[in-house]
Amino acid sequence: MLIDLSHIQRLYRSDEVETTALLDIHLGIEAGEFVAIMGPSGCGKSTLLNILGTIDRPTSGSYSFGGQELTELGEAALAAFRRENLGYVFQSFNLIDELTIEENIELALIYRRMPKAERRHRVAHAMDHVGIAHRARHYPSQLSGGQQQRAAIARAIVGEPRLILADEPTGNLDTENGAQVMDILQRLNDEGATIVMVTHSPSHADLAKRRVDMLDGQVVISVRNAI
Amino acid sequence: MLATILKSVVRQIRRHPLYVGLNVFGLALGIGVFLTLALLVRYEYGFNAALPDVDRLVRVDTRWSLPGTAPGEYAGSTFHALSFLREDFPEIETAARLENTGLSTVREGNFTAFVSGLTDPSFFRVFGLKLLHGAPDEALARPDGLVLSERAAIRLFGTTDVMGRTVPVNRDGVTVNHTVTGVLARKTTPDFLSDIEMLAPFASSDLTRSCFVAWGSDCGRLYLKLRRPGDIVSVNARMRDFVIRHAAGADSDANALGMHPEKVFGLSLAPLRGARFRDFHVLYADDGVDRTVINSIGLMGLLALALACANAINLATARAGLRAREVAIRKTLGASRKVLFVQFMGEAMLVAVIAGVLGLALCEILVPEVASLTGEALVVRYGLVGVLLPLIVVACGFASGVYPSMVLSGYRPAAVLAAARMPSGGRGAARLRDALVTGQFGIAVTIVICMLVINHQTDFMRTADPGYVRSGLLIGSAMPGNDLAAQRRMLDALRAVPGVVAAGFGELAPSPDNKTRSTYTYDGPSGPVHVHLLQDIVSTSYFEVYRPRLLAGRWFDTARGLDDMPARDETRTRTAGAVLNASAVSRFGFASPAEALGKVIGTGGITARIIGVIDDVRFESPRQAIYPEIIFFDTLSKRPFVDPIPAVRFQGVVESDMARRLNRAWAGVLPDVASDFSAVDARMAAYYSGDERRGRIFTLGAVAALLIACMGLYGLAAFAAARRVHEIGIRKTLGATGRQIVTLLLGDFLRPVVVACLLACPIAWVVMRRWLAGFDERIALTPAHFLIAVAGAVAIAILTVLGQTFHLARAEPARALRAE
Repeated sequence: MLIDLSHIQRLYRSDEVETTALLDIHLGIEAGEFVAIMGPSGCGKSTLLNILGTIDRPTSGSYSFGGQELTELGEAALAAFRRENLGYVFQSFNLIDELTIEENIELALIYRRMPKAERRHRVAHAMDHVGIAHRARHYPSQLSGGQQQRAAIARAIVGEPRLILADEPTGNLDTENGAQVMDILQRLNDEGATIVMVTHSPSHADLAKRRVDMLDGQVVISVRNAI
Repeated sequence: MLATILKSVVRQIRRHPLYVGLNVFGLALGIGVFLTLALLVRYEYGFNAALPDVDRLVRVDTRWSLPGTAPGEYAGSTFHALSFLREDFPEIETAARLENTGLSTVREGNFTAFVSGLTDPSFFRVFGLKLLHGAPDEALARPDGLVLSERAAIRLFGTTDVMGRTVPVNRDGVTVNHTVTGVLARKTTPDFLSDIEMLAPFASSDLTRSCFVAWGSDCGRLYLKLRRPGDIVSVNARMRDFVIRHAAGADSDANALGMHPEKVFGLSLAPLRGARFRDFHVLYADDGVDRTVINSIGLMGLLALALACANAINLATARAGLRAREVAIRKTLGASRKVLFVQFMGEAMLVAVIAGVLGLALCEILVPEVASLTGEALVVRYGLVGVLLPLIVVACGFASGVYPSMVLSGYRPAAVLAAARMPSGGRGAARLRDALVTGQFGIAVTIVICMLVINHQTDFMRTADPGYVRSGLLIGSAMPGNDLAAQRRMLDALRAVPGVVAAGFGELAPSPDNKTRSTYTYDGPSGPVHVHLLQDIVSTSYFEVYRPRLLAGRWFDTARGLDDMPARDETRTRTAGAVLNASAVSRFGFASPAEALGKVIGTGGITARIIGVIDDVRFESPRQAIYPEIIFFDTLSKRPFVDPIPAVRFQGVVESDMARRLNRAWAGVLPDVASDFSAVDARMAAYYSGDERRGRIFTLGAVAALLIACMGLYGLAAFAAARRVHEIGIRKTLGATGRQIVTLLLGDFLRPVVVACLLACPIAWVVMRRWLAGFDERIALTPAHFLIAVAGAVAIAILTVLGQTFHLARAEPARALRAE
C-alpha cells in the first residue's frame, strides 16, 4: 500500500464557527493506481487532496506514505518529502507569472539541489513529454490555458514523483484541451505513475482506474472502473 | 465629487492605514526637509542682497604674490589707498573704512565685549543703514560719538532710548567716555553687518598707524559705493596702473612697495553681492561659504523631495492593482473614465495637501534646529514658503496621481472581474518600481557616504596633530603696546599662578590677528632664493609652553647671547639666531632640516642664522597651507614685544579654574585691559565650525534620505508580500523550505539596494575627493567609509523587509494557494 489514510479529520476554526471539512476518512491507494475523487462543491475533495499533498495538515488521524507516518513530521521534513515524492497539477495552473515556462518547470528541481546540467536535461524531457518544448522561453501569460496546464503537468512530472496530485486539472479548459490533458495523465499512469485526481467531470472520472465519491466530508463510495 | 473623494480617502485611511501613513508621512518628510533646506539655500544666496544699492557696493581686496608663497586674495586693503582712489576714480560716490576691533565697556572693573568696529562718518551713507535714533550723517562725526545696535543698547541700558548717554569704552587697555549718537535699526535680512553691535569713529592717533600711511600694511576693509554698477569693471581695469602710479617708490621708502609694486601687489574691487561665496576663496574674509556646499545642500533638499515623490508614485502604482476590482465594478455601474480619473487624481491631490500641511509643520520644527546647527539667523519666510508649498503640493499630487489614475481608469471591467489575480502593471511596472527603489537608495547611500567623510574630516581637523601640544594650554588676549616693564611683570605674574608649569609670550598664537611677513633671501650655491616668511618672536619658556617638535638643531638658549634678537638699533649690525619651520626649510630648497642649520638668511634689514628647525605648527585654518615661518627669540632683556600674546602650560587644575586664576593675575598687571584666557580649541573653533555645521546638515539630510528610502522599500515589500503570497504557496508546494523562501525574498528585496550601493560608491568617491582637495590637511578616502555606508544601508534595508519576509515565509501553502 503506497498511501494509507485512517481516521483523517479536518476542522476549520474561525472566530466563532467550526466547520468540518473532512470527517473520519479511511482511504488506501496502491502504487500505480489512478484514482478520481468526485463529489459536489464543498464536500471536501480539495481538502483531502491538500492533505494527501501535505500542504494542509489533518486535525487528527494518521497518514502513512510508503510506510512512513507523515503527520508527525515537521515543516522542513514535509518540504523535503514534497520535493522528493509529490507532483501537483492545479485547476488554475499556478504557474509563477514572473518566470518563463522553462524556469517554472525547473523550479521543482532547483529545490532538490540538482546539478544544472541534469535539471536542463530533465526539463527538456518533461516539456517534450507534454508537447510544449516550443514554448520554453515564453511567460505563462503568453500561453493558452491548455498550454499552461500542460506546462503545469510537465512541472509535476519533471521530478519523477511517486505520486501526482491533480486538483480539477481540466476545470479551466475547453473540451479539446481537457481531453488532451486527460490523455497525458492516462499515459503517465500507464508508464507507472500513481495519480490522484479531483474532478467534477464524470467522463474524466471514468478514465481513471478507480473512482471515489465524497459527500459532506466522507467517502461514500469507492468503485473500480471497468477498463 | 469632492464628497466622494473625501469619503474615499477617509475609508482608505481606515482600511489601509499603513499604506496611507507611509504615503503621507513620506511625502511630508520630503516636503519638510525640502522647505527647510530651500530656506537655508535662499538665506545664503540672499546674503548681502538686501543692502540698498548692493550692486554699487564693493570691498577693495588686496592680492599678494610674494616669493615662495602661492598668490592669494586677501579681504581688506591699506587705508592709505583711499585718498588716491578718490582722486583717480570719479566713479566713486562715497567710501568708508572699517576696522573690526574689540571694543568693550567697563563697569566696576568688569569688561563686556561687543562685536564692534571703527569707521568713518560716511559708513551709514555707504551702506544705506537706517538709524532708529540719530542722524546717519552726523552720528559718527564727533570724535566721541558711538552708535549702538538695538541689542547692544538694550544690553547696556535696558532700552533703546539711549541718545546722549555716556558709555565708557575700552580699546586696547585705554578707556574713553563716548556719547551715544545713534542706535542702529534692527535688520531682518542677512548681511555681513548683521552682527555689528557697536561702532565708533577712528581716533586721530589712528591716522598715523602704518595701515593708514603705508602700502604694504592693512588693518581693515575699505568699502566703496560707486556711481553705477558697471563702474566695477572699468575701475578694476585701471587698478594696475593705479598701483604703479601710487605704490611705487624707492627701496628706502618704507611706505612704498619698491620700484615695481605691481609684481607683488594688486588691488581689486570685490562686489558685495555674492561676496558670501566669493569670500570662501578670499583669505581673512568674514565668513565665506562654499557655494558648492550650499548647492549640494539645495540639491539634497530637491533629492529628498524627489525621493518622497518617487515613494508616492511607487506606492500608488503598486496599490493601484488592489483597486482594480473597485474600478471594474464602478465602470460596470456606469462610471465614465473621466469621472474615475478625476476621482483618483483628486484623492492623490488630497493626500498631497495633507502631506503639505504636515511638511510645513515639520519645516517649522526643523528650521530652528537647522538655525542652531548652522549658527545662521534662519527663520521660516512665508513669502518663499507661500510660493513653494502650493507648487510642491500640486507637483507631488500630480506625480503620484497621474499614473495610477490613467491606469486605473483605463481598466476593462470584464477582464479584471474575470481574472483570478490582481493586475500589477506587469513586468514594466515592476521594473519601474525596482528602478525607483534603486534611485532612492542610490541617493541615500551617496549622501550617507558624504556625511561620513565630512564628519570624519571635521573630526580629523579638530583632533589632528597641530604640531604642538594642545591640552593643558591656555592662551590669553594680546597684551596691547610695547611696555617692556609691564611685559616682564605680566610673565612673572602668570608664572606665579599656582598650577602654571610654564608661561611665555609669542607674537603669534592660534587664530592670530596681527601678522608680520617679510621676504628673506638665502644666497645659495645656485643663486639667491627668496621666500616670504611669516615672522614670530617668542620669549623664554615658549618651547615648554607649546612643546613644538624639534626636527634638527636646537631651540633658543638664554645662556647664548647671540640667540637673542638684537635691539632695534643693532639689527643691522648683528646676526640673530632663528628657528625655521619645516615648510620654510623646503621652500628655501634645503634637502633636509639638518642641512639648513648654520645657514644665514636676511631681509636686508635683519640677518638671521638658522639654529634649529621645528615641525610645522598649525595656528590657522586646516584649509590653508602652512605658511613658511621664521621664529626669533626675545628674552625681554632690552627689547619689548609688540602686542605679545601670553600662553600658559598648566597642570593639575581644571581648565576653567585655571582661566579664572590667569584672568585675575592679568588684571593685577593690566586692570584696564580685558583678558580672556581660552583653550586652543575655542580659539580655533571658527576654522572648523563652518565645516562642522555643514556636516550636521549633511547628517540631517542623510537621515531624512535613508528614512524616506526605507519607507519606500517597506511599502514596496509590503506590496510585494501581499502579491506574492500565492507564488510562495506554489514554491512551498514544490518543496521549498522556509529558509529558502526567506533567502529568495531577501535577495529580491535587496537587489535594488545592492545595485544602488554599487552606483552610489563611485559618485560619492568623485564628489568627496573634490571636496577633500580643498583642505591642506585631510583624511584619506578609505574603503571603510564606503563599506560602513553600504553595510549600514543593507542592514537597514534588511531590518525594513525582515518582518514582511518572515510573515510571508511562514504562510501555510494550502492557505496561500487559496489567497488571491
